[in-house]
Amino acid sequence: MTETATDYRKYLEPRTLARIASLDLRARLVVEGLMTGMHRSPYQGISVEFAQHRQYVAGDDIRHVDWKVFGKTDKIYLKQYQEETNLHLICVVDASESMGFSSITADKATWSKYDHATAIAASLSYMAIQQQDSVGLAVFDSDLKHYIKPSNSPTQWKVITQDLTTVPRLKKTNTGRVLDQLAEKLTHRSVIVILSDFFDELEGIKKGLRHLRYKKHEIMAFQIMDPAEIEFPFEEATLFQGLEGMGELLTEPRALREGYLRQLEAFTEEIRKTCRGMHIDFVRMNSGEPLDVTLSGFLAARSATMK
Amino acid sequence: MVFEPNTATSLAFGFVSWPMAGVAAGLISIPIIIHILNRRRFKTVTWAAMEFLMRAMRKNRRRLEFEQWILLATRCLVVFLLGLALARPMGCERTSLARIAGRTGLNVIVLDNSYSMAYQADRPGAKTHLDQAKKIVDQLIEQMSPGGESVVLITAGAPINATGPNKSISKIGYDLAQARDAVKSVRQTYGGTDLVGALRLALQTGREETREQNKTLHILTDSTRGAWDPQMAALKQLGPELARMFKVVHHDLTRDHKKQWNDAVLDVSAVGGLVRVKFDSDFRADVRSFGSEQSAVVQWKVDDKPLGASFSTPLGPTAHELMTKERPQFATGGPHVISVDVRVAGDHLPGDNVRNHVEDVAADLKVLLVEGKRGAGVNQSSGVSLAAALTPAHEGPLKSLSSFVAEPISDLELGNRVLHEYSAVVLADVAQLTGPEADRLKQFVEQGGTLLVFMGDGVNKDNYNSLLLPRKLMPGPLVKLMTTGTDQKPYRLNFKPNAIQSDYLESFRGMENSGLDLVGVLNYWQLELAQGSGVTPIIKYVPNGIEPGKQDPGAPGDPAITVHGLGQGHVVWISTSANGDWTDFPAHDAYAPLMQELLAHSVKSGTHWMNLEVGQPLIIPSNVRMTAAPVLLDPDKKALALESKLDERSERVGGSTIYTSAPLNVPGVYSLALGETTIPIAVNIPPGEADLRTLNDEAIREALGRIEMDMEGEQPPTDLQVAEAGRDWGWHLTLIVLGLLCVEAFMAMRFGHWKVAAPAQV
Repeated sequence: MTETATDYRKYLEPRTLARIASLDLRARLVVEGLMTGMHRSPYQGISVEFAQHRQYVAGDDIRHVDWKVFGKTDKIYLKQYQEETNLHLICVVDASESMGFSSITADKATWSKYDHATAIAASLSYMAIQQQDSVGLAVFDSDLKHYIKPSNSPTQWKVITQDLTTVPRLKKTNTGRVLDQLAEKLTHRSVIVILSDFFDELEGIKKGLRHLRYKKHEIMAFQIMDPAEIEFPFEEATLFQGLEGMGELLTEPRALREGYLRQLEAFTEEIRKTCRGMHIDFVRMNSGEPLDVTLSGFLAARSATMK
Repeated sequence: MVFEPNTATSLAFGFVSWPMAGVAAGLISIPIIIHILNRRRFKTVTWAAMEFLMRAMRKNRRRLEFEQWILLATRCLVVFLLGLALARPMGCERTSLARIAGRTGLNVIVLDNSYSMAYQADRPGAKTHLDQAKKIVDQLIEQMSPGGESVVLITAGAPINATGPNKSISKIGYDLAQARDAVKSVRQTYGGTDLVGALRLALQTGREETREQNKTLHILTDSTRGAWDPQMAALKQLGPELARMFKVVHHDLTRDHKKQWNDAVLDVSAVGGLVRVKFDSDFRADVRSFGSEQSAVVQWKVDDKPLGASFSTPLGPTAHELMTKERPQFATGGPHVISVDVRVAGDHLPGDNVRNHVEDVAADLKVLLVEGKRGAGVNQSSGVSLAAALTPAHEGPLKSLSSFVAEPISDLELGNRVLHEYSAVVLADVAQLTGPEADRLKQFVEQGGTLLVFMGDGVNKDNYNSLLLPRKLMPGPLVKLMTTGTDQKPYRLNFKPNAIQSDYLESFRGMENSGLDLVGVLNYWQLELAQGSGVTPIIKYVPNGIEPGKQDPGAPGDPAITVHGLGQGHVVWISTSANGDWTDFPAHDAYAPLMQELLAHSVKSGTHWMNLEVGQPLIIPSNVRMTAAPVLLDPDKKALALESKLDERSERVGGSTIYTSAPLNVPGVYSLALGETTIPIAVNIPPGEADLRTLNDEAIREALGRIEMDMEGEQPPTDLQVAEAGRDWGWHLTLIVLGLLCVEAFMAMRFGHWKVAAPAQV
């Protein structure tokens, strides 16, 4: 790996990104970091429009061999496709108060779940716009606060990053209702990426997802969790002050850790099961881990699904 | 604070350290306080996943509360038990559970090994009381906790040196095997009991041992009067101090042998003081049977040869004075051994049935007559009259039958004479003395000499009162010179031959025609006798107004002749003159016998250093003449070492040498070779050991000042008795605390209250 590649990859680290104030810069660095070292576009194979033939070389995938040409010319050519341009990507970002929780610090900056969500949303939008896909944005808390219609205009990405930067995060979540509202707004079949911690009524979430699926949208659900929420590493007596008006609790964290993790796991498993039942991709993301792990994994899985 | 046996015996539970018990009660609050403080000290975290935390809390609330309580209770218990362990509870005085507890502490064992402990009780495996006592101590040591209990062994056989290094005490420490060996090596002595000395050593040991709080004192005696009665006052004072320091246990070796008896010869002495050659002498012996009336066969001996035939006599516990049936007459002067042997069947303590007495038979007792007023003839010269009285002429091969050799000198020569070469010094009408002369006279008397002081015309009242009186060479201050006028009757001596009140006049008892009552005194010095001065009047003057023949010797009157002790010697004061100036006494027949009796009773034969008790060292006085270095042989003819030191008080220029031996531990007749002469030394068992009459438990407790103490018998303690004794539970509680700490740590980890992960970054 070259030194340049190394420099870019460090921008996939949340603690590095936390020091970068501009969201669009963050997204570009993420994508550059993600692309560095790849032999081909992560989007290759997603599109369906034919582009050209290329002569077969050893090691090529024989599934892309054009057998008709082989029958006529007795030569082996591969079919190559242009990337799809009419894909609608909608990033749905949870901006409720709980998304503001952060246990990650770098110098004086923090890296909240919301920061993580916006970095992913911006990165995905950047990649989509780069290949002329339409990108839209929905930001919500208890209500659908902002909605930007999908567009493949080069200025769309700037609009999206601007919107993600300025949205306040002070309210409770009502994911079910928001997803219902979104389902009504979207007229075009879209790929919907939901970035949320899903700390909400499970029944409402199910209802919203079912509504979207009913409208034939492809859905990807990213549950973004802080490392502290996943590990619960507290030792001393702690007064937990709940966000979104959840009250307070003074307790010995060590004694409660096991029970908490069991509850959290049960909830996550319930969402995962729901998503699986609706053919929704569900990924739990640790906001403390590098973004490429999550993004490349997701894109690979997505690529396999398209094939 | 020390464990108090006084109170603990009535309780089932006590503490070695009561303050620590209070601390233990206080410690229990520490975990609670920490718990409360911890509730006030917490971090605040803003938390998003509150719903899951709340759900976990709702589901586990009861379990968490239970875990909190059980942890708190365990921690409270740990600190409480830790405090309790430090308080070292003495538990279960009367339960067999005490057996499982090990003891810690100091055990001071006072073992009486005096001669009375040699009583042959013939128990199985233990012939004497001492053998049985050793068995008891051995059993006590066997049941001590190795490494936890230390032993100090003190033997109570006299003498016990209270200040310097002492062979009576063995500070053994925690090596119990060594302690048992030390007990086995305790030897039977022939000496007396110094219970006070032994208990003082025990008290001192207890004070020095500050680490151990649990202290027990085991006293093993035969409870005889001989051991306890003579030291009752000191023991009474000592008892409460011991009870404050120790748990006191007395083991009575005679609890089942209260009817033991013993015949013994307690004393042998000459009748009449001085034994002289050429005179028949009487000896008396104090022979008794303690415990029961016995009939015994008595044999007198002189120089190991029988003196007359043996005879049978009944004996009882009270003084029974046996006189020699045949009066011995010694042909030669010097020390002779008088022995009394009492034979009785079945005596279990036979060592004291023989008693030896060395009597230094006087052959030539030198008397220095210091004359103040010179004159001629018996009537004018005091020296002549006294010399005639002390060495009367005898018709026959011997010039005199007297043992005294009088040497008259002028008072001017007094300063030139070495006084310790004389048995007695007589001052007759000496006008006055100088300070150095008075000092030498005082030293002479204190070292065993006799001083006779006669008054007379020349006596200076002020000189006597200022020089002799402060040195106790006078019985009291001279007050007034009593004189009779020409028309007055002389003063008479208050003498009745059938009412003799002084040993000095014993030879005049029943002599109606002695003439003492007819002695006339024209002048005499009246003196003032203080109460409690220790001065004994030998004879007084008849008070005024009493008709002759109606006098009562017990009636008050001015003393005519007195005697008082000073150091080891005596001072005899005669209120009138020795010559015929003031009295017609020199002309009476009774004059010479009385003068000889006065000297014979007051002059000490000087045999005190030849008659010793077991445990006393031999000290050869510096005035004993020797032509070679002394050699002391014990009764088995084995040589004993003698140490020499300088006697700085000696009159000789540069001092003289005193020889001393180590304490003599075996009774019998020793032999002291001094070159040309050999002196027998009699060493006897202390008479106090003969009295085997015993005291009961209550009397023992009374003797120690009515302290709380355990009374044990003569049997070794059984396992059950040991189990009933108080046990120190401190170590066991400590083990329980350690166990509880393990449980607490396990529970804390199990319940998630123990740090197993790195601190949170939040």
